[in-house]
Amino acid sequence: MDISAFLLFWAAIFTSNILLTNFLGMCSYLSVSKEVESSLGLGIAVTFVLVFTTGLNWLVYRYLLVPLGIEYLQYIVFIIVIAAFVQLLELLIERYAPALYYTLGIFLPLITVNCAIFGVSLFMVIRDYNFVQSLAYGLGSGLGWLLAILMLAGIRSKLREKMVPAGLRGAGISLIITGIMALAFIGFSGIAPIQ
Amino acid sequence: MKPTAQELKIMQRMQPGVITLSGFLGSDTRPLNEILESDSAALAALDRSQQEIADRMESFSQASWDSYLGETLIEGKYLVQTDVYRGRLPCPYGHPGIFRKAITRLTNQSNGLCVVWTSLNIHLIREHGFFEGKGSAFRLEPKTLVKALFE
Amino acid sequence: MLLTILKDVAVLAGISGVLAILLVIAERWLNNYGDCKININGKRELTVKGGNSLLSSLGEKQVFLPSACGGRGSCGACKCQILEGGGPLLPTEKPLLSQAELADNIRLSCQVKVKSDISIQIPDSIFNIRKFSSVISEIIDFTYDIKGITFKLDEGETIDFKAGQYVQLITEPYGKVRQRVSRAYSISSKPEINTSIQLIIRLVPEGICTTWVHQNLKLGDRVNFTGPYGDFFLRDTEADILFVAGGSGKAPIKSMLEHLQVVGTQRKMTYFFGARSLKDLYLTKEMKAFEQVFPDFRYVPVLSNPDPDDNWQGETGYVMPHFKNAIRDPQNTEAYLCGSPGMINAVCKALQEQGVAADKIYYDSFG
Repeated sequence: MDISAFLLFWAAIFTSNILLTNFLGMCSYLSVSKEVESSLGLGIAVTFVLVFTTGLNWLVYRYLLVPLGIEYLQYIVFIIVIAAFVQLLELLIERYAPALYYTLGIFLPLITVNCAIFGVSLFMVIRDYNFVQSLAYGLGSGLGWLLAILMLAGIRSKLREKMVPAGLRGAGISLIITGIMALAFIGFSGIAPIQ
Repeated sequence: MKPTAQELKIMQRMQPGVITLSGFLGSDTRPLNEILESDSAALAALDRSQQEIADRMESFSQASWDSYLGETLIEGKYLVQTDVYRGRLPCPYGHPGIFRKAITRLTNQSNGLCVVWTSLNIHLIREHGFFEGKGSAFRLEPKTLVKALFE
Repeated sequence: MLLTILKDVAVLAGISGVLAILLVIAERWLNNYGDCKININGKRELTVKGGNSLLSSLGEKQVFLPSACGGRGSCGACKCQILEGGGPLLPTEKPLLSQAELADNIRLSCQVKVKSDISIQIPDSIFNIRKFSSVISEIIDFTYDIKGITFKLDEGETIDFKAGQYVQLITEPYGKVRQRVSRAYSISSKPEINTSIQLIIRLVPEGICTTWVHQNLKLGDRVNFTGPYGDFFLRDTEADILFVAGGSGKAPIKSMLEHLQVVGTQRKMTYFFGARSLKDLYLTKEMKAFEQVFPDFRYVPVLSNPDPDDNWQGETGYVMPHFKNAIRDPQNTEAYLCGSPGMINAVCKALQEQGVAADKIYYDSFG
């Protein structure tokens, strides 16, 4: 695909935000968005893991799956790579950067099963990105996810003093807010189409 | 109709040795939904609702609760006695909550019928319309039960 | 075709294998904290492999902190005080701890990882709870549906409990029962005997554990249990005591009386035992004998419904009307009740009407 990595980076944040246009990574998005502080931690962790796993998966796909002709196994292989990488990362951080572990590391197990991470790896294959594009797309998607969860956390912290109908409290109202945010983000589309 | 996965899971919990020693199904080999359907048809014929029966059973159990040693005479003709044993049981349907091992024995002196139920039976009838399988230790035959409780 | 499939499977297995080996090596290198020592209450020191959560490390050594969520940091039941070496507070713990608890360095043991020597403080009642292995050394038939069973602990093991506490028996699969269940029974022997315990167990219709105990267990059988649990135990005061029991509720009170016999007491004590008829009475001689042991003790069995053949000369009806004569000074009376909820209910009400303070009435209700 012929698109500059720089443009792709911005597009991944705004015009095709992984969370608000593809609705990927919803579970941790809904459950952790109660506080701005932990949302920031999780968002940074997601961004970090996204960049690395997209890069890794690109290498695995290009140099292992394609030559061996087993592209159809990409789903399983990607999941295994992501899971192993996250585990490894957790061990590394815990050992060598305890301070970072307490702010970021504890979110890592949540990320193993975050579908945004998996989704980005699959999009990168479908859209035929090159290595640099993949990294840019991974970074952009991560920051986009961070932006979305921060916005929701901000709104939810305001919502705490508001009267929400009992049936909508928690996930219900969060999903409605997410829907409205997604509608707002549609306004960006057309600036740089990457689908 | 084939039992659904959910029903199979419930029937699994009703087997002997899972929640109680001999289970809830007794010698009944019919699938759960058939047991429920035939009992609910019996109820309809008797013109009584699950709710009504469960409420009546509960009111008897409650009334005999305080007289923990021996029988109480209720409404002039029902001899009721409740024995409580240590421990509690969960509902095989996987409901939250656990039920006392309280066994109530009611004798209707006007027709001589005697029925025995546990706290769990009341819940099973109210929420699930389940009177246990034929041959089970605490099987409550709807017809006998209604006669004993209301006549 | 077959070859392709085999090749694909081999490649996939290869990738997984390489990653797994990588992780195992990483775990060895990175997660190796060596042996760490856990010091509990300054009394006991456990040596565990570092790197796991405090909750699971303690569990491995048979010290069971309560936990309802299984270590996911959502129930907050596994709180314990960490005096030294727990690392900084984690964001996952913070929401479940109050300001006072934070100040006391209370932590969630499922979140704290053991990475260095650590010293913790847990309640004595939990500290004593362990899993025991025992052999049945005696079975007595007390009535048609109540048995007394003595479990002898393995050589060198001792159990440390308070008179009135209970243990949980763990059944083995038998007959149609294919899984293990655990059920609670009060200890009826005195705490001074710490190499064995006696339980009094009443057969419950359709009960998995009681049927196992009554019909399957023989002398010499091996049985596991955990414990001791419970806050129904004898308070060390000088107040008059009223014991009230029904059914198999005799067990904890027997333990209390035997304990008092060892330590000696001048307290005025009255023991009411409610039963239906003569065939439900048991241990009568033993309880009566305590009247000779203590300076001021009376055992009063009360039958609500004696058979005419029983020739019952004693008290009849309910136990409640007899309290009046037994209570000297309601302000200075403690009551220990053990029996069915119906009995506890009625007895509590009657005692409070007599002026006994609600917080001086201790009870162990069935279930």
